[in-house]
Amino acid sequence: MENSNSYSPYSSSSVDSTKPSPSESSVNLSLSLTFPSTSSQRETSQDWPPIKPRLRDTLKSLCLRQRRYNTALFVKVYMEGVPIGRKLDLSTFSGYESLLENLSHMFDTSVICGNRDRKHHVLTYQDKDGDWMMVGDIPWDMFLETVRRLKITRPERC
Amino acid sequence: MDLRLPSKVLEHILSFVDSNEDRNSVSLVCKSWFETERRTRKRVFVRNCYAVTPEAVARRFPETRSLTLKGKPHFADYNLVPDGWGGYAWPWIEAMAAKCPSLDELRLKRMVVTDECLEKIAASFKDFKVLVLTSCEGFSTDGLAAIAVACSNLRELELRECIVEDLGGDWLSYFPETLTSLVSLDFSCLDSEVKLSDLERLVSRSPNLKSLKLNRAVSLDALGSLLRLAPQLVELGTGSFSDKLDQEAVSKLSQAFSEMKELKSLSGLWDVLPEYIPLLYSVCPGLTSLNLSYATVQMPDLVELLTRCSNLQKLWVMDLIEDKGLEVVASSCKELRELRVFPSGAEGLNDTNVAMTEQGLVSVSEGCPNLESVLYFCVQFTNAAMVTIARNRPNLTCFRLCVMEPFSPDHKTQQPLDEGFKAIVERCKDLQRLSVSGLLTNKAFEYIGTHGKKLRMLSIAFAGDSDLMLHHLLSGCESLNKLEIRDCPFGDTALLENAAKLETMRSLWMSSCCVSFGACKLLSQKMPKLNVEVIDEHPLETRPDSSPVERIYIYRTLAGPRLDMPEFVWTTQKNPEIGVSHLAIK
Repeated sequence: MENSNSYSPYSSSSVDSTKPSPSESSVNLSLSLTFPSTSSQRETSQDWPPIKPRLRDTLKSLCLRQRRYNTALFVKVYMEGVPIGRKLDLSTFSGYESLLENLSHMFDTSVICGNRDRKHHVLTYQDKDGDWMMVGDIPWDMFLETVRRLKITRPERC
Repeated sequence: MDLRLPSKVLEHILSFVDSNEDRNSVSLVCKSWFETERRTRKRVFVRNCYAVTPEAVARRFPETRSLTLKGKPHFADYNLVPDGWGGYAWPWIEAMAAKCPSLDELRLKRMVVTDECLEKIAASFKDFKVLVLTSCEGFSTDGLAAIAVACSNLRELELRECIVEDLGGDWLSYFPETLTSLVSLDFSCLDSEVKLSDLERLVSRSPNLKSLKLNRAVSLDALGSLLRLAPQLVELGTGSFSDKLDQEAVSKLSQAFSEMKELKSLSGLWDVLPEYIPLLYSVCPGLTSLNLSYATVQMPDLVELLTRCSNLQKLWVMDLIEDKGLEVVASSCKELRELRVFPSGAEGLNDTNVAMTEQGLVSVSEGCPNLESVLYFCVQFTNAAMVTIARNRPNLTCFRLCVMEPFSPDHKTQQPLDEGFKAIVERCKDLQRLSVSGLLTNKAFEYIGTHGKKLRMLSIAFAGDSDLMLHHLLSGCESLNKLEIRDCPFGDTALLENAAKLETMRSLWMSSCCVSFGACKLLSQKMPKLNVEVIDEHPLETRPDSSPVERIYIYRTLAGPRLDMPEFVWTTQKNPEIGVSHLAIK
């Protein structure tokens, strides 16, 4: 089942064109009410399906653990300036430290997280929204959920 | 000649009247009966903490021993009520401490309980015995320590799904060595590890301990030693069920389970590994209640477990059980009364769809003659399935179906699920609680209004076409007590036309609907005995009357407007500058 919570009833993505659309049926719009703007807030909030917080949290942590046990998480890794990239299974690492250690070994240079540094290569990643971010800001579990590819930047560039 | 019964005689007679419904009737007979009744009532239930003031309750029932309170509306369980809305326990504890010294039992649900509250309880009520907090928040483990250290005759301490600021496991060590009266302990919602030796000592000096629900941090190894100390347990919630144990430890644990001859209820089982499921076989035949909602066990292992549970009455399980597993339940668990199936896929746990459809529930409805309560999360459903279920089980009293994709039609006919729900309300004449989902038109609500005469609680999400839906419900459902609605595109007309109905109900919740600001003001003016709360995180002063509000919560009350409303809760009493509009809403 897909993980997105885009349940705004008036967004076309969640309404199949073959089903009777609620916006086509006789909605009482005599007051010209527009659909509340909070629907977009709801897309990212934790209120559907209606399960209690503890169960929701348990499912989240089980999901991540299952992913780690069952599926490899291969992502491409590029070093800036080097045209040929590598592939890395992130599920084999326990956290940022072991990832950095491995990358430093793989690319034969020192790779660090965060703080731009004139001397070291800094690790960045592309998240599921397509944005390039600094590695290390979010908890490891959350990082695994969102990372799509990695890039090791040149020292001066960052 | 004075024909009145002497009050002592009346008191004696009333001591046999237990039910509060009866006592409420008694109190209406005449003044002296009112007086005698109120002085002798021992248990008080206030199902909406804002319907009446704490002082009024404490003054009326000075001899009460037990108080049960509910605070936030039900949808607070699903994060629909913003933090800080209300539901504070403090004024109640303060009032009871001042006027009701005999209080020894407190049961709170969805309330904000602080450490100060817990300290006050510990300090005010000698001989305090029972504290049960369900879905409460606002306190830390320090507050628990205060209760543990002071309540020397404590019998029950249960924290059910509370959100607790966990400062460590020390609180358990505060139970004095002299405390031997413990009957029930539930700390399953806490995260920190408690000291095993303290827990073992507590358990071994509690011969009356019947219910023990551990938290996840208690290891499997520790469980073994605890079970050996308390083989008399009737209810057990295990901790984590996944540590790797050596052969000897496993056989010791197996032995411990087989010694538990009284065990009726089993829960916990976090992370249970399939190889440990056989450890439970010896207790299965005696179980009447099994909660596997945290056990991500696959169908084959679940089947092995459930075929042995012939006396099971209550089963909570994840949809990993699949249709096949539910067929096994239908043939093995003939005493089943309550079934809840939760969605493992809710947080992306199962990227491939679990093989559970409407067929699973149909099987159970066929095989289990005593089935009366259902909560079923699934991906799809059909009208035909609901018709079959209704035909099989007209004895259903609670039917909560959550088809998770909003607006899903019958997946075979592509029709709305109107006819299915019609069958349910038509056939199940004693239905008291109903949750609907899937694609529904106004017809569904016409049926519910026509047939749902005993319906007390109704939950609706993403449904209906227009105000008629709400009108059918408010005008048709005679016994309606609680109505909660989210994401349905209407509100005004039906609300205003059926305003009087709202005084016969405990509460109405509507969020992300199209209830206008003007309608709220009008309703508020029309119905002074209701609190009409607009819960909206955007400022209202500059809003036109036609603009929709985020949430409304309407409830009847004797207490008038409450004094603890946060910024984002608006009422015409609190915010008179808003005033009442003269806009006529048709």
